[in-house]
Amino acid sequence: MVKNERPSREDYYRVLVSRLPKDALVVTALGNASYLWARMHHRAENFYVEDAMGLALPLAIGLALAQPARRLVAVEGDGGLLMHMGALVTLGAVAPKNLTVLLIDNGVHAASGGQALTSQTLDFAALARAAAIDQAAHVATPGAFSDALRAALCEDGPQVFVLSTAPDLELVVPPLAMDPVLIKHRFIAAVGAPPYVPKLFGGGRLGRE
Amino acid sequence: MTSDARAREHRPEVLLDTLKRLGFGLAVTVPDGWLGEILVRIEREPAMKLVRATHEEEALAIACGGRLGGVRTVLIVQNVGLLSMGAGMVCLAQRYQFPLLILVSYRGTVEDPVYYHIPKGRATEPVLRGLGLAHVRVDPARPIGPQVEAAATYAEESSSPFALLLSREDVQW
Repeated sequence: MVKNERPSREDYYRVLVSRLPKDALVVTALGNASYLWARMHHRAENFYVEDAMGLALPLAIGLALAQPARRLVAVEGDGGLLMHMGALVTLGAVAPKNLTVLLIDNGVHAASGGQALTSQTLDFAALARAAAIDQAAHVATPGAFSDALRAALCEDGPQVFVLSTAPDLELVVPPLAMDPVLIKHRFIAAVGAPPYVPKLFGGGRLGRE
Repeated sequence: MTSDARAREHRPEVLLDTLKRLGFGLAVTVPDGWLGEILVRIEREPAMKLVRATHEEEALAIACGGRLGGVRTVLIVQNVGLLSMGAGMVCLAQRYQFPLLILVSYRGTVEDPVYYHIPKGRATEPVLRGLGLAHVRVDPARPIGPQVEAAATYAEESSSPFALLLSREDVQW
């Protein structure tokens, strides 16, 4: 019997784990995009965006500009992109060479219970190409994703891969406390970004201790 | 500084010089009529990168990403942008405690009584108080540079966004 099921988020994440360069940074959107990634591949170089729907992609654009020497993978949801579709246009205009965007195309608001999106007729890859992101493609299987990601990570970005994904409505319990400030400081330390030195200690500027 | 010296100070130029001196490397903006020229000047600065966003909440998130990556980042928007970025301000910038300097062209005040700006001017400061967003209105009688530096320092020392509300003379080239 021929199965016509879309791969799961976990199927794609398994590929991402295997293909991710050691020093790459990862930004994940709200809900299972972050919770499942934390469970499968938690590391200090992950920045988990909780809540703040639609803001993982624009945050990743700023981060990519600030860390041009580090490869960055951003996982955004289709509902999130619909909320801030302008970020795709900004991505095309800014064109950070180190950014690869994975768009989870599951057709629903998974984090809020699976309400249908209004994007059934929308071609996200065509939309990205119209925003001057030449490397934009639909991906429907983990094997195709593996090939596409391997090639993409050897080339300049930005790239957008629209991953046809089955909705995952069951909430994944993350393996660690999703403390936003802890996530931020752990990430900053991993990136090696210069800390702010308070004025009390002779600073008032960013600098290395 | 004497009142004569204050009168001679070109406040937008001093504002830009202050950002450069403090090491701001990234500016993210959605423009306003008062902001056009200073944004062009920032774009010409070799040590600064200007990103033009499509919406102020998107701009806020880009700024958070820049600061997360270790670059001092300034957000430059009109006050209507503060009204439209409320969710991102609370859920991202404040929740994750990103130190951001926000320079705001403050439209619709008694000094800028354009009829369609007035509702925004009237709503701005009550909304900022509701959001818990620290802010101050620039004192026109004092030099602009130290006020920008104080706002930037407050943002860093408090690990939070800080909005500096600017008049036309402060920012329009």
